[in-house]
Amino acid sequence: MIDSILLVDDESLFQVVFDYSCSLLDISLTLECISSADEAAEKFAAWHKNPNGRPVCVFVDLNIIGSTFDGIELVRKINEEYGNHVVIGIVSSSNEPTEQSRAMEAGAQFWIIKSDDIEPRLLEFKNDYQSYVDGSATFKIYK
Amino acid sequence: MKLCKDTKNDLLRLAEDKKIYLEGSILKVIDIDGEDETFIEYLNTSTQKDKERRRRGLDITKQIQKQNLELQASSNEKEKLMAELRLSLQETENDRLKIETQNKELTTWKEENERISEELKSALVEAEVARKSAVRAKEIAENDLDILQKKTQFELMGNIVRISVWIIIGVGVSVTGLYITAMTLGKDTAVIGPVWSNIISILLTNAFSIVGTIMGIKYASKS
Repeated sequence: MIDSILLVDDESLFQVVFDYSCSLLDISLTLECISSADEAAEKFAAWHKNPNGRPVCVFVDLNIIGSTFDGIELVRKINEEYGNHVVIGIVSSSNEPTEQSRAMEAGAQFWIIKSDDIEPRLLEFKNDYQSYVDGSATFKIYK
Repeated sequence: MKLCKDTKNDLLRLAEDKKIYLEGSILKVIDIDGEDETFIEYLNTSTQKDKERRRRGLDITKQIQKQNLELQASSNEKEKLMAELRLSLQETENDRLKIETQNKELTTWKEENERISEELKSALVEAEVARKSAVRAKEIAENDLDILQKKTQFELMGNIVRISVWIIIGVGVSVTGLYITAMTLGKDTAVIGPVWSNIISILLTNAFSIVGTIMGIKYASKS
């Protein structure tokens, strides 16, 4: 089970769905949701100095409305500027290969397609989680 | 995490009396190793109830999410329709403006036609007036010509009459003079007497003939 997950997504309903799904699938002990990439970047900047409370896994929405940069840029910042101590990936309704390539280049480890029925993908991700932690897994798209 | 006996008893009593169970992530961190079956069953029931509640919540949230998507699709469709409606209204407005412009042009054209028509009518009236003036001028000219012709004729007749009168007077005076002379001198008047008489009668006849001719000409000229 993942100790703590951070979801960065502006869609509040998806946050609730994600929370219930993670709880039902026993994926994580705690889940924190943030609606802004800027806020997430600030938090990671703080955790870079003091890692207390930092999540171990981060799910980032591709297009976060109201933010000054998109999810891929947040992934890049977390990986390159804030220490890269997390398993991180994109969760998006888009299945655009160009964006997926950008995400991979920015350091994302997975890409989960958002849909009504996200539980099977999260369950698959749960099974793969350990390989992301030890770095043995390659970039994977959960369709 | 291990719970003390009192806490476990409190939890079991709370579940039995008020049907209140533990829920959430706390259930995942309670260590069940070495626990009695009653508490393990309590934890299982709590987990089951928590999952049921979360499943209901998830289903409801998914339903709301689905409705939201449908509403969003409906809203998009409405926006699309509104955009089409706006476009249609704009086109109608453009058509209206076009028709208005055409109407204005037609009105201007009609006014121009009416103006030309009025001018034509005016010109027609002027032409009629001019025609009448020309007819009147022609009549005046003809009348003047007629008068001139008559005047010429009268002058000619006057000359003829004057010459004829002078000839008649001259011949009458001459013959009368000769007759008087002959009588005064005591000459034979056997020839000149009848001649004078004949001459005078011829002259009178001619004079009356001339007067008759002139009167006839005057009458003919009048009719």
